[in-house]
Amino acid sequence: MLPPPRVPPRLHPAIAVAIIGLCIALILWLVSFTVPLRVAGQAYLLIIILLAFRYWPPMMRWVASMPVAHRVVFGVLIGAMILGHYTLNNRTYFPYVAWEIFPFVHEDDPVTCSELIATTASGEKVRLLAEQLFPSIVQINPLNCYSPDTTEHLARALAKMYNEHHADDPVQGVDLLVMAVKLHPPASESRAQPSCELLKHYDISSAR
Amino acid sequence: MRASQTLRHLIGPLELIHEEAGPRLLRLTRLGVFALWIVKLLLDPLWRLAEIPREMFQPLGILTLLPATALDRLLAPGGLAALLIVTLAVLALGLTNRAFPLVSMLAAVLLTVYSSVIRSFGPAVHTDIVLLFAVYALAGFSWADWITEKFGKKKIAPGAAAYPIVTIVAMLCISYCLVGLNRTVAGGARVFTGDTMEAWAVDASLRGYYFNTNIGWHIPEWPLVVLMLRSGLPVITLFEITAPLCLAWPHFRWIFIPVMLSFHLLSLVFMNILFFDDMLLYLLLIDWSRRFPALRRPGHRPSP
Repeated sequence: MLPPPRVPPRLHPAIAVAIIGLCIALILWLVSFTVPLRVAGQAYLLIIILLAFRYWPPMMRWVASMPVAHRVVFGVLIGAMILGHYTLNNRTYFPYVAWEIFPFVHEDDPVTCSELIATTASGEKVRLLAEQLFPSIVQINPLNCYSPDTTEHLARALAKMYNEHHADDPVQGVDLLVMAVKLHPPASESRAQPSCELLKHYDISSAR
Repeated sequence: MRASQTLRHLIGPLELIHEEAGPRLLRLTRLGVFALWIVKLLLDPLWRLAEIPREMFQPLGILTLLPATALDRLLAPGGLAALLIVTLAVLALGLTNRAFPLVSMLAAVLLTVYSSVIRSFGPAVHTDIVLLFAVYALAGFSWADWITEKFGKKKIAPGAAAYPIVTIVAMLCISYCLVGLNRTVAGGARVFTGDTMEAWAVDASLRGYYFNTNIGWHIPEWPLVVLMLRSGLPVITLFEITAPLCLAWPHFRWIFIPVMLSFHLLSLVFMNILFFDDMLLYLLLIDWSRRFPALRRPGHRPSP
């Protein structure tokens, strides 16, 4: 007589999910000793997404239909993009950059920003922006990242470029201002301009 | 029974985007990507960069491999103008589809140098990186076609035209996904609960870019806009993380496209940031070959 078949002990799905969750947390915690959590956590989530596609039949069929050379190109392009992100480095391996947009909490309140404001011969105030006068540049670093000499050289370069296009009303001087905007202004406060403080004045007319 | 049918109707089909794409759609994609780069370069007075203080130049990527004398020559007005003209000429040659593997590879190298130069005066911003990857994909797959034809035992598969197009869409979606994952994991819950978005919007608005709406720094005075930004960030992040679904789920794409387009337009209004290239690449999120039989691969019978 055959012995009755063994029935595996049944586990409640919620308990199974909790155990899997704890295992994942344990693995991430262990990995975080060698790899930063921001890398390990993202990598884990990305692997889940990629695995979902790996086992999706139309994707499997599509990749399987590729000749070897095409598969290599596909793998290199996607792999390099993902590896570039996990270097957490935006400059060394460009264009394989870390994809970071609003990645952390901006702690400063009020938010401040240094600006170059020019005064033209007619007395008009004009903001000098490197991104507008040199449109190749998408963005420069904040002005407070540069040394005082570099900021002055930049102010003069911007004034020169402005004057090339506005010969009838050239820039006479440039002010380096720091603008400030409170994130939590008093109720019903409304302003026409952010509050500002003069840091430095560059005389442009004497330099010409 | 009826509920499950309604659910199935709402979810709709799951099918790989551009799976049926033919050579005509690939040709249009090549034309679109190269033409977009040509327009961008035609609007760019690159030679002006020679006037920027040299101490602001921090070389990145491929430029770090060049010797100082080569960089000096490149950053002179003549060097920058030559880079612009040669790149434009190569891109224009790419439009003709002649010797495409060679021309597109040259275009990829020149555009990498160009993209590195313009970012060496500031941070390595993300605008037009996916468009650069699109050129890499077009070049890489055209070489793969050539290698398979020349040395392969079997001829190129009939669906070969779809490979670069699907890869470009995949790279676009992965770029969004990585942004969303990074914000969620590295930023943590505080990014979504505090005044992060107002701070970033005010900061971007004060700094100013090429487009300057001068609106964003007013945001703290407008409670409704603050509410919209705070509630919008988790929603946008969710769409970013789930962007790879665009590869498989047509109904999701019809929600993703308007949501992300609105997000990009709001970024322009409040933060002066325009992701023009990504917005144009959204054209590839439409499965043209399923709509227009002329763009399907020859001999393909659409699934019922």
